[in-house]
Amino acid sequence: MSDDNGLWLLAIGPAGATVLYWALYKYYRNTDKSHAFERETTIEAQPVTGSDEKTGENNGTQATSIQGNNAGAYRMRVERVRDDAG
Amino acid sequence: MSNTNSPSPPPLPSANGPGSPQDVPPLPGSFPVDPATLPEAMREELLAPDPVAIDTAAAELKDGLNRCPKCGATDIRHKPGSDLLVCLYCRNEWDGARVEEEFGFGVGLGELKGTVIASGARDIEADVASLMSFKCTGCGAEVTVNTDNAMTARCHWCRHVLGVNEQVANGAVPDAVLPFHIRKEDAVARIRQFVDKRKLFALKAFKEQFTPENVIGVYLPYMIVDGNVSVDVAGQGEIQTRSYTRGNDNNKKTYYDADVYRVERHVDFTIDDLPLESSTERGNLDTRANTNNIINTILPFDTKNAVKWNASYLSGFSSEKRNNDVEQLRPRLEDQLLSVGRARVESSIHRYDRGVRWEQERLTVHGTRWVSMYLPVWLYSYHQPGANGGMLHYIAVNGRTGETMGSVPVQQWKLLLAALTTGTVLEGIALMMIVAGS
Repeated sequence: MSDDNGLWLLAIGPAGATVLYWALYKYYRNTDKSHAFERETTIEAQPVTGSDEKTGENNGTQATSIQGNNAGAYRMRVERVRDDAG
Repeated sequence: MSNTNSPSPPPLPSANGPGSPQDVPPLPGSFPVDPATLPEAMREELLAPDPVAIDTAAAELKDGLNRCPKCGATDIRHKPGSDLLVCLYCRNEWDGARVEEEFGFGVGLGELKGTVIASGARDIEADVASLMSFKCTGCGAEVTVNTDNAMTARCHWCRHVLGVNEQVANGAVPDAVLPFHIRKEDAVARIRQFVDKRKLFALKAFKEQFTPENVIGVYLPYMIVDGNVSVDVAGQGEIQTRSYTRGNDNNKKTYYDADVYRVERHVDFTIDDLPLESSTERGNLDTRANTNNIINTILPFDTKNAVKWNASYLSGFSSEKRNNDVEQLRPRLEDQLLSVGRARVESSIHRYDRGVRWEQERLTVHGTRWVSMYLPVWLYSYHQPGANGGMLHYIAVNGRTGETMGSVPVQQWKLLLAALTTGTVLEGIALMMIVAGS
């Protein structure tokens, strides 16, 4: 507690207000809800297959996870490779 | 023309003469040349079967009067809380056939190939009006049914009930219907319970006008899709190998070392009874303009129990008409199938403790089967005035499972005041801590 002096504590007020506002807004309006078809539909899947190949190293980074981590964002589309390319 | 190197293409058929869409179309399956005279490869292609359409039309039901099998009366209604139809005259009760068994919709998903469309899910023809009129076979009077919002009507003269049962190409008659199980009283109680939990910051006018008894039972149009697909995804994943801190006491920073991998995954799966809104309006889930996502949230339904179409199930309920064809819904289906694929592969990437960034995805659809269905929803609506026509807030109850979801309009100033008050209190505590620490 010397040079940053706990000044970041000042952000608690606005941050708390924003978090509370959006939490309540979503609770009333439910704008974030939709059909969870990923888990609510009957799906019969074969075992997942695939390959893992080491391509390099990312050393000395301060980020706690890979940049652009979208493993859990199923509905965020990435580049689509089409069978009938061309 | 003859001295050019590339021969000019044959002339295209004229826009409105013979061979154009203005011409009377040839009979399905007819071909101007006898296929037997053609080479084998061409013959095979020509004689290969067309995409199968499952015929779900009910020969025993027709447009107009449909009588009780026991007494012949036409006053037939759905018995609430069951899948039965009941004759209001002789109280005879009978059951509709479940489409799942009757047409084999639940089986053979793994062998699904191509696009199979049930007859009630066929493309909508633009020139077929939604307003249909019949001659009442009871008295000969003309009776009109507006299929945009109803599928039965009562003859004003002889009081017989007439229903639309023939699968006309305006999208109004589906393959199957899932009758209401949740009764109105139950739906009202669920809506009341839902709103009771959201009163503090609700719009004053909403609370004052809240009358859940005004809930209406609506049959909404859906396409129920089965699919047999494969999904491939590729991207980068990282596994942490080391973490360490640098710097002195006041300026410590944590650093990580990680191995980078190229990750590829493949999964084959079948999906059973995925519901898609088959009306453009209901399929638009833009939460800035509407609250249709509320109705989307109460999916899924127990569509396995859907029964063969009979307009008598809709007697006393309102309905909305399908206006999307299979091809119009395909992009949304593909999007959802890709999402399902991504969800399935997640369990196989746990070793990447720093996460995975998917960069490419590929969907291969081996086969799909489309069945159109009316699904039961209890809808309570409140119109909040405002810019751009305001906002229509729905509270919806799934007519089968009772799942309830809603959008309750908020009183903005109250919500802001609560947030600001909390923020101020937190800020006060923070200031006290800073003062105490310095």
